[in-house]
Amino acid sequence: MKRQEIIAKALAVPQMPMPVQKIMSIINDPDATMMQLARFIEYEPGLTVNLLRMANSAFFGGHGMVTTVKDAIMRLGMQRVYQMVLASGVAPFAKYEIKGYGLPPGQLLEHSAALAVASEHLAGELGLTPPPHTFTSGLLVNIGKVVLGAFLAVDAEPIMELAYSQGIPFEKAERAVLGIDHGELGALLLEHWKLPDPIVYVVRHRLAPDAAPVRDLALDLVHAGDVIAKMTGVGLGYDGMHYAPSETVFARLGLTAEHMERVMESSIEHFSEIRDILLGTE
Amino acid sequence: MEIVVGISDMRITNRPNQILVTHSLGSCLGLMVFDPSSGVGGLIHCLLPVAREAREGKTLNPCMYVNTGVPHMIKSMFAKGAKRERLVIKAAGCGRMMNVSNSFDTGAANLAALQKLLDHNHLRLSGSDVGGSIPRTVRFHIDSGRVVISSCGKSWEI
Repeated sequence: MKRQEIIAKALAVPQMPMPVQKIMSIINDPDATMMQLARFIEYEPGLTVNLLRMANSAFFGGHGMVTTVKDAIMRLGMQRVYQMVLASGVAPFAKYEIKGYGLPPGQLLEHSAALAVASEHLAGELGLTPPPHTFTSGLLVNIGKVVLGAFLAVDAEPIMELAYSQGIPFEKAERAVLGIDHGELGALLLEHWKLPDPIVYVVRHRLAPDAAPVRDLALDLVHAGDVIAKMTGVGLGYDGMHYAPSETVFARLGLTAEHMERVMESSIEHFSEIRDILLGTE
Repeated sequence: MEIVVGISDMRITNRPNQILVTHSLGSCLGLMVFDPSSGVGGLIHCLLPVAREAREGKTLNPCMYVNTGVPHMIKSMFAKGAKRERLVIKAAGCGRMMNVSNSFDTGAANLAALQKLLDHNHLRLSGSDVGGSIPRTVRFHIDSGRVVISSCGKSWEI
């Protein structure tokens, strides 16, 4: 199977769930009111549960129980609600077993949650305000691996062999064997799902940010967050840590080893909470 | 019976039917210590080399760090009957991203922190499988002290 065939098959993958599309269109409508949004979410039991869990979580929320959708939206703000709705739509895909890449069910979701948390914590550690799409982009960067490994049942063994024997990063080996890497394929799929361009941009370039046409803070944060998540080992597949981090990005962010260690510490505390919220989605 | 040891966690046992397992060794250190005579074994999965100061009054989890976790585990093993002179110590993990510079190489820092501790206490490693960019799972068989590493569909003993 080569590039064109892979792309054609990937784009035939199921659409984003309809309720998610509807709710996203409300969030994107500047005239929509919070009440309209709350009413739509209340029609979807899965989303309602996730939103309440999120609002009551230590990572997103605060103290005191929130029990209504309206209060949850008030507490989290529209941006967080948007992230939750999107993440809830995509999480079921990340729960598949990804056999070709050596990932049991749920493991990729663990890695994606660790990566998203690390990207945001990193911004906090560096005193930066993360662009609003940072967290969501972090959750989505591995979607191409789901498509390759679960839907198209690509066998990663020849890719792995090439990567480890030649000492080249895993995504380069993917391109050599398949004609495309999981970052680009994920970006094509998200584009096809009509996700916002800034998210697609991060997903497309996060493995090789030095080659991205425009510098982008979310991309830098997600790239470094990915490195940190990989080092913690959470949800690693056969590809392991066989990727090359960009020292240019580290320098641009002003990242030090101490920052990195602190983010590893704090991410480990929170990633399981995010994973559990998303695993509640069906 | 397999007992899973998570990140920043440790387990000690003298039950020969138990296998201590840790998954997800990236740059983390997995340290397996065994006393064949008493049958006491311990496995710790440390995330970082050195505990820095506690933040905002938080208590640090000693098992998160090599410099606090490893002595903590070995002392706990002594309390269960293990003896210093009989310890068989094996290390796994401490991997790294490709081409990562030394200052960001947490795997190497974890290994260096371990080596410093061992040197200071005149102990040595009997086996290790460290470095590189592969992910590792460790199974530590308490009946025999065998340590089996698996990665990418293959497995081997150290």
